[in-house]
Amino acid sequence: MTGIKILLTTGVAFIAVYFFLRLRNSIFDILILMLLIIAAVVFILFPDITNSIANKLGVGRGADLVFYTSILIFWFAILKLYARIRKLEQIITQVVRKDAIDEAEKN
Amino acid sequence: MNLNNPNSVFVIIPFYNENTVISEVIESLVPYNYQIVLVDDGSAKSPIDFLKDIHSVYFLHHKVNLGQGAAIQTGIDFALRKGAELLVTFDADGQHLASDIQSLLEPLQNKEADICIASRFLEKGKHNATKGRKITLKAGRWVNYFFTGLFLSDAHNGLRAMNRIAAKKIRLKENRMAHASEFLIAIKKNKLRYKEIPASVVYSDYSRKKGQSVFSSVRIFFDLVLHKLFE
Repeated sequence: MTGIKILLTTGVAFIAVYFFLRLRNSIFDILILMLLIIAAVVFILFPDITNSIANKLGVGRGADLVFYTSILIFWFAILKLYARIRKLEQIITQVVRKDAIDEAEKN
Repeated sequence: MNLNNPNSVFVIIPFYNENTVISEVIESLVPYNYQIVLVDDGSAKSPIDFLKDIHSVYFLHHKVNLGQGAAIQTGIDFALRKGAELLVTFDADGQHLASDIQSLLEPLQNKEADICIASRFLEKGKHNATKGRKITLKAGRWVNYFFTGLFLSDAHNGLRAMNRIAAKKIRLKENRMAHASEFLIAIKKNKLRYKEIPASVVYSDYSRKKGQSVFSSVRIFFDLVLHKLFE
């Protein structure tokens, strides 16, 4: 086992533990997470698998394929987060607005 | 319902960290007998001190700063609850003239329009905008046209008047400055009858300092793009 494999699997293990402690209630989340973690560990331990998938898709190296897909995933995640921030902003606005109007009605 | 009674006209003034200029603005409005709704958008220092002499105003206070769009919407909601027939939005930094309000109300009172938007670039409208600001506003017309389908002479003017029907249709979701375009989106979507009315915009050193720089137009542009993407 090379150094990078140890480093990455330890990282994944830590993230896994962290998420399992927080997301205990939803079975669906746990299943998805399990799948992702197993996939991550398999790809780390046997990088040749990513290479062969990459070649089939017309990408030179497995590492490049991982890089491209992670850009897509991060982009998606940012959009989701932004949508959630907007939602939160709207909720805060409603609360603050209601408070302002109620206060003014009292006087 | 009496559209000509100044008591049913509500002037909404959103403000954030304004100093005494706002009391001059209020003083200039008092002779017209409009109902004045002040919306404090979470100012750091409470303006109550210099506002307490003026009793005839409604005062609303946001606990946290949300942005001008949010403050205007709060004012609209409140005015509608108080039975407003005509609603006016008015900037707090003294760039508008109280005497211009009546010319914006007239088309509403004559039932020729549902919403009137002031324009500093129509014939009689006067302004002393700098060259950079003028160019930004010219570009803003096209951006607005692209996003809303309305091509107005003045892209971003804080002075507007609307009737109750229009006010009910308008739901500003953009808390910050992109709300000016949201008015246009609401006009287009609800097929409201609109009219542009010439009105002056007087920039003072104070309003220039308080107001938006030319660069905030970039922020507005991105808010608009995101508005289109997420609504």
